[in-house]
Amino acid sequence: MHIMEGFLPSPWWELWTIVMIPVVIYGIYRISLVTKNNPKTKPLLALVGAFIFVLSALKLPSVTGSCSHPTGSGLAAVIFGPAIAAVLSMLVLVFQALLLAHGGLTTLGANVVSMGIVGPVVAYGTWVICKKAKVPSSFGVFLAVALGNLLTYVATSVQLALAFPTAAGFLDAFAKFGTVFAVTQIPLAIAEGILAVFLFDFLVKYKGKLLNTIGAVNLPSALTRGN
Amino acid sequence: MQFGQIGARVDRYAYTNNLAKTSPATKLLFALSVLVISVASPSPIIPFFVFFINLALLLLYAKIPAHFYWKMLLYPLATALLSCVLIALFFGYGESLMEIATPWFSWTIFKSGVTMAVATFLRVAGGISCLYFLVLTTPITDILILLRRIHVPQILIEMSLLIYRYIFLLLEIASQMNTAQEMRLGNTNWISKIKSTALLAGNLFIRTLEQGERTFTAMSARGYDGEIQILDDLPNPRLWLVIGILFFDVFLILASVLTASGWSLIT
Repeated sequence: MHIMEGFLPSPWWELWTIVMIPVVIYGIYRISLVTKNNPKTKPLLALVGAFIFVLSALKLPSVTGSCSHPTGSGLAAVIFGPAIAAVLSMLVLVFQALLLAHGGLTTLGANVVSMGIVGPVVAYGTWVICKKAKVPSSFGVFLAVALGNLLTYVATSVQLALAFPTAAGFLDAFAKFGTVFAVTQIPLAIAEGILAVFLFDFLVKYKGKLLNTIGAVNLPSALTRGN
Repeated sequence: MQFGQIGARVDRYAYTNNLAKTSPATKLLFALSVLVISVASPSPIIPFFVFFINLALLLLYAKIPAHFYWKMLLYPLATALLSCVLIALFFGYGESLMEIATPWFSWTIFKSGVTMAVATFLRVAGGISCLYFLVLTTPITDILILLRRIHVPQILIEMSLLIYRYIFLLLEIASQMNTAQEMRLGNTNWISKIKSTALLAGNLFIRTLEQGERTFTAMSARGYDGEIQILDDLPNPRLWLVIGILFFDVFLILASVLTASGWSLIT
């Protein structure tokens, strides 16, 4: 979903950058709050960031000036909430632009909005609803991450369709971009959902106490063992 | 992995190129201002010009080997070209350039679609060349020191340094585990390959986290309080260079205003 450097024409990349800024500022506030209360979350935060980097670097090129890949930001949203996921995604996207020329600095805003804001918000919303509905947590994580991934690509399609109109209007352009993405993205979303379930179970098993203190899960204290 | 090879070489050139001794603030100013002007410019002539300016600076002045720069450019430009061909074929509106009528469907290629595609391709080329100028001449740590100087929140810089380290940690542990699995005949057939991959993915996360936590404990024991101390001995910016860059920016803005209305690919 990384839109490449310079691919978006002028009013659009500025607009998405402006949309990104308040969310990221709020996220920085949240992240400093969490790390101040629990300095031990820092390694987990950095690892989730690195996880987003590695997953979103596994890209399949797509013919839309963009590409298809797992995002990893859904899991970050489930663990830390969407605002922190937005900050982590922004840092990762800057690194990817600088190290891999994957994404770009002017399109950073658009990419953060799709991968760091829309996807995580959807994932977090789904996760909260699943928790309320007492759905088993592995299914909740799967649904949250898979939907977060899919909606990230819906957001990218909207961004591209707004920037590249067709004769039949916005919806036609949106359908064109969306179809190209859907081919690769639906299997990828399912695969990412399954991977996230495994990782989340591992984390609950080994780092349950840490997850409990940051409020990601509510486990009875008997289940949280070890560090 | 592609990242390992190209990424490592980019990092090496960032430290050893001929512009490495120039102040990173100057290079950042040049790369970012030219990037923003060329991407914001309405005519594609500006990014096209910027692409060649950066090409000349990188190859002649910074002495980056041409074949390596070409290799770096090839993949993004090829993807951009493909995307732009599709934009030219399927997008746009208004005046039509060509109509293909077959018994089953009719297909119109629009002038605005082709114009949009050409402009997009040149904008991508210009933008990527600015990005590469920055990456190939300036090490990431220099950029982080600059960010600290302009008072970017401490936690952001700390997280970037940690994430940067963890990316390499993750890759390193993954390759170690992969080697271990290979030696125990873990990848002999399809089923064992899937089993090994699942094991690797699950354990990779926990192993990396544990190693990271050990590092964190060790750092805390040595007085780490959220600030990673880096030697701040960057060269100072030279006044004439900064003025030169500002003049170049003004020139680019004027040129983009002058060429804004006067360009069209197909008349």
